[in-house]
Amino acid sequence: MRIHHIIVAGMLMASPLEAGTLKINGSTTVNLPVAEASEILRAEMKMDIQIDTQGGSSGGISMLGEGLVQLGMASKHISDDDRAKFPKCDYKEIHIGEDAVAMIVSADVWDGGVKALSKAELKGIYEGAIKNWKDVGGPDRRIAFFNKEPGRGTWEVFVHWIYGNPKLAPQVSFPEVGGNEETRNKVASTKGALSQLSSSWADGKTVFALGLKSETGEVIQATSETIATHKYPMSRPLFLLSNGAPAGEAKLLVDFVLSGRGQALVKKHGYLTLAELK
Amino acid sequence: MTRIAIWFFSGVTVLTVLAMALLLLMQSLPVWQHEGFSFATGAKWFYRQQEFGAASMIYGTLVVSIGALVLATPVGIGAAIFTAEFLPARFRLMVKLTIELLAGVPSVVYGLLGILMLRNWIYELLAPFDPLSGDTLFTAAVLLALMILPTIMTLSDDALRSVPATQRHAARGLGLNGTEVVLHVSLPQASRGLFAAVLLGLGRAMGETIAVFLVIGRQDNQWPQSLFSLQPLIESGQTLTSKLGSSETNIAYGNPLHWGAMVGLGVILLVIVTLITWFGAYLQRSDHAS
Repeated sequence: MRIHHIIVAGMLMASPLEAGTLKINGSTTVNLPVAEASEILRAEMKMDIQIDTQGGSSGGISMLGEGLVQLGMASKHISDDDRAKFPKCDYKEIHIGEDAVAMIVSADVWDGGVKALSKAELKGIYEGAIKNWKDVGGPDRRIAFFNKEPGRGTWEVFVHWIYGNPKLAPQVSFPEVGGNEETRNKVASTKGALSQLSSSWADGKTVFALGLKSETGEVIQATSETIATHKYPMSRPLFLLSNGAPAGEAKLLVDFVLSGRGQALVKKHGYLTLAELK
Repeated sequence: MTRIAIWFFSGVTVLTVLAMALLLLMQSLPVWQHEGFSFATGAKWFYRQQEFGAASMIYGTLVVSIGALVLATPVGIGAAIFTAEFLPARFRLMVKLTIELLAGVPSVVYGLLGILMLRNWIYELLAPFDPLSGDTLFTAAVLLALMILPTIMTLSDDALRSVPATQRHAARGLGLNGTEVVLHVSLPQASRGLFAAVLLGLGRAMGETIAVFLVIGRQDNQWPQSLFSLQPLIESGQTLTSKLGSSETNIAYGNPLHWGAMVGLGVILLVIVTLITWFGAYLQRSDHAS
């Protein structure tokens, strides 16, 4: 369990360079490969890196905007609203890979026969019109919907697909979950649970990723192919964010993540690499 | 010289507190202008519709903290009576040190244990009442009770130990047995200290953020049908602190009204805690006068 994944840099004293600490914050989804890249750079280059996931993507965007970190991590595009909030920050999106958002359910729902949901069904659940799994072909059990916190990249991808624009999404009051670990843990241990989660975190043992039913009735699963071709409707880019072109330590890390070894880490954590997208 | 130092440092303290309160009030001004007093009494919070009401969160904070107090006070004071009045001195220090160690555990650790163990246990325990999930106000109250138990216990122990031994000896000399000494001499004489212990526990419970954040479910707008209903205990909810800890603070940044509403929650929390402290001080004074 790593709710707050902070790598405390122990190498600081040994470093002859007074370069200071490279601080990174943002999405828990992007954190996985970037944190591992940071560990490698810490060991090999004696770099001093602090990486955290306060507030997810929107936390990364606002902390970069305020100048508290040199790099942000986001699983969504920078919006015009973000740029308007931080006019002094020259946001640059550095594409490092691609991910998909899956709708995940607990084992009892999966075993009860729910393997896919359509956009209309998800809309009904989100707006509270559908409250029981039996209405979508599952067991007679109330739907325990855990909504990702607004501001999380995962949540924005979800409402973007259902409503076209996050601003058009109705405001609802469901129990909310934050990081990916919390989401997976709570869905796994609650009967009748449903939530949105990065598809690479859906392990198929404790939580199960539903397919998405298209209007023609075709069930689309999140696979490398459907994500790369955007046939799977809830795919999303993963970004490192910098203020202007990255420089110094930040540039070292960005270059590493974009290199062959860095891209291998992206793949290792279940995301699509840039090469696979072409 | 001493007098100047006292005035100087007291002045700095008072000014810091006043400046802080003023800063919070100024930053929250937009929401008070927008909502008026219904910011504190309104139960609906829909930030995208610019509707801000903190009542559901005030309710959550009070229910969770008082619930934790109800669970932790009897156990904490009971344990303190045992260590202070009955346990031989060398064991007393051992037990007290162990319990004080618990008070130093970071709250995120309690929160993670809460998610991994307590949440599932309570989910099964409450199964007859069919809760939607293990994230309930009751879960948060039990977790908080565990967290404030060491505080209440160790401070109660100090309060009981501060009752002079001569008082106990005199009572024994008058023919009271051990239980009667505790009930009629130690507890009444230590009552102010015991009350302070409970108040400090309440203060910690109200301000606690991360642990509550992880097990309460963070569901907005959970205003109960009846204030005396127990139903909300098995449902998710939101406290002032869990709202302040959520990613909504990132969304609010840059929007004066929304930001003001978030800071306003902090103002409300500050007011509640201040009122409780004043109330405690008032009770202590009247206790002293009798």
